[in-house]
Amino acid sequence: MNVFMSTLRDGTMKGLKTTWTLAKVIVPIYIIITILKYTPVIGWIAILFEPVMQLFGLPGEAAIAMVMGNLLNLYAGIGVMATLPLTMKQITIMAVMLSFSHSLLVETAVSKRVGVSIPMILSVRIGLAVISGILLNLTI
Amino acid sequence: MGIEFNVIEVLKEAVFGSLKSVWSIAIIVFPLMIVMEFARKYKVMDVISAGLRPLTRFLGVQRSAAFPLAVGLIFGLAYGSGVIIQSAQEGEIDLRSLTLVSIFLACCHAVVEDTLLFVAVGANGWLLLGLRTLAAFIVTMLVSKSVKLAYEAQ
Repeated sequence: MNVFMSTLRDGTMKGLKTTWTLAKVIVPIYIIITILKYTPVIGWIAILFEPVMQLFGLPGEAAIAMVMGNLLNLYAGIGVMATLPLTMKQITIMAVMLSFSHSLLVETAVSKRVGVSIPMILSVRIGLAVISGILLNLTI
Repeated sequence: MGIEFNVIEVLKEAVFGSLKSVWSIAIIVFPLMIVMEFARKYKVMDVISAGLRPLTRFLGVQRSAAFPLAVGLIFGLAYGSGVIIQSAQEGEIDLRSLTLVSIFLACCHAVVEDTLLFVAVGANGWLLLGLRTLAAFIVTMLVSKSVKLAYEAQ
């Protein structure tokens, strides 16, 4: 009983901590992107990245989610994704790409600590993201 | 006047939209963290790592690599790496297994949380999970082959 209750309490605290961590990332990013959507800035970014994003069947704005997800973390990428009008196919493609390649600054450091070389880990992860994005766009 | 009205509308959209996104993720994160905490306390990982034995054989790594593999797959890269480093310091895991497990986990980790986060925003979870695991396998097998060749060449 005691262990059960303390586990329940610890789990709830971790849930609270994780929710707070993701809220701190998602809320400001969502607000900034929503405001930017009413300015020409988003349009410029979209046009700039459209040729690349087209390879994955994604709109140019999706590049912002990719950059945020890769530099910061998944929460940041998801925060941007939530503001964009995307189809289920596009959401799945972005989910797969971001799953392979995200939080590169932090996670590459972690991988290096266990002895995997940085160029290797980066090329594998980014390579998987690019290949899976192109293939998924063609197949699903 | 018109501009002020728009600013309020935009701010409303931004604040409510962002809170809605946090909410849709929070209702997944809370139960998940509680379940994972129980898994940790009640040593479920030992059972899962026993179940991962075929996986370690298939990847061509030592049996002792099953535990860090299970921890990384379920709890995430940071936890998995922590266990790997600990195992390496205690001499339970050789360099080859260490490298292969690290590569597998770099491609595929925290599968429960990551998959559910994307399902919350509308992705196809099974496709996501399936592709991620498959790709991690293929990459690890390829590296495994090249590492084996490198060892044999010596």
